[in-house]
Amino acid sequence: MSRRNEIIARIQTVPSIPTVIAKIEQMLNNPDVSFKALSDLIKYEPGLTANILKIANSAYFGFKQKISSVQQAIVRLGTERVHELAIASSLAPIAHSSVKGYDLPAGELWKHSILIALGGEQIAKMKGIKPPDSVFTTGLLLDIGKIVLGTFVEIDVNPIMDLAFKKKIPFDVAERRVLGIDHTEVGAILLKNWNLPEEIVNTVRWHHQPSRAKQNSLLLDLVHSANIFAMISGIGTGSDGLNYRPDKEVMKRMNFTTEKKELVISMMMTGLNDVQDLLSLGLPDKSKK
Amino acid sequence: MVITVNISDLGTSNSNEDKIITYSLGSCVGVSLYDPVAEVGSLIHCMLPLSKVDRAKSKIKPYMFVDTGLQAQLKIMYDNGATKKNIVAKVAGGSKLLDKKSLFRIGERNYTVVRKILWKNNILIENEDVGGTKSRTMYLVMETGKTYLKIRGEEIEL
Repeated sequence: MSRRNEIIARIQTVPSIPTVIAKIEQMLNNPDVSFKALSDLIKYEPGLTANILKIANSAYFGFKQKISSVQQAIVRLGTERVHELAIASSLAPIAHSSVKGYDLPAGELWKHSILIALGGEQIAKMKGIKPPDSVFTTGLLLDIGKIVLGTFVEIDVNPIMDLAFKKKIPFDVAERRVLGIDHTEVGAILLKNWNLPEEIVNTVRWHHQPSRAKQNSLLLDLVHSANIFAMISGIGTGSDGLNYRPDKEVMKRMNFTTEKKELVISMMMTGLNDVQDLLSLGLPDKSKK
Repeated sequence: MVITVNISDLGTSNSNEDKIITYSLGSCVGVSLYDPVAEVGSLIHCMLPLSKVDRAKSKIKPYMFVDTGLQAQLKIMYDNGATKKNIVAKVAGGSKLLDKKSLFRIGERNYTVVRKILWKNNILIENEDVGGTKSRTMYLVMETGKTYLKIRGEEIEL
């Protein structure tokens, strides 16, 4: 079996996200579903409910009055946001682990992912555009492929590093040359298995090479940019460092001035600071003991 | 004791049992200052070059920016008895993307501001490891005053 096929086989062994997420996903695609049906679905999942309330009450959303029920959270935050928080909640335990191969200590990938999720939204707001609905979720999922691919990167770390850092080839391209696949494709296959919308799958697939996507999309532009800012911040950058290429077409469309670039980074860091509850999601809950 | 310096923060010590460390310097810069006579040392981890981009933020988090951060670090050194003549300065970070068109020059700008401020203070950079596309961990060992870098698992003295 080729290395590529071996890796693809490994993706199939990754446990799926909980079925309740898939159910929420289906529900949101049906315009006739009521708020109540969605809150009923969530409220029978105590862990999920607790997490949603915890994040809904974090400083990032800035509600003065405490949100105390799922239904209230849906009314105040909207169905889409609650859906995102549900995904975040089920993703956290997976994304919180340390990542081999990329040398990421536990929690770093999760922090990086949240930073991209926030960054995507903040860039849109800064440009006066309404952020696409799935930008937060896509940001969280962008580098999920690293979790699976890391084990294989670790085995072939030397040839990948040589290509990347001596020959100055983007890290994802080096992965593909050595392993036959890169972390963007691994992520896309995984998310397809999880039945996530095609738009998210495609965005994850092309987040390092947006010009190769079938069509331009605001979503892709936003997460590509947010990922660059996250790398510049250094948060969650491991052995791959900053060894990726910004896409010049995307940058032309985004048209950031020097000042705007620096302001976005500053805003992203503030946002990250305000979502500490989101950051601690993957950690064991000490209050239960 | 190990003192961990977060992003946009400073760590300082006058105990030779301490080690001051900061992780994942991307385009950020780390500056370690050590005075062997006063036996005081400090390390900052700054993210952006100039505080004018977000004045309000720089009031709460001066170490986020190189200009306000490095000046505050120098003041702490002087307040603890360090002198310009004795301070040993080392700089690391300032990485960039694979970016031939130089679309993002934050790392380079961070480094330029470090140089400018140290120059104004008559302090020469003794050693540095800046640029490239790597992510670096940097630490100062108070017992010896030596600064080290850890890059992809490999440790080197700076």
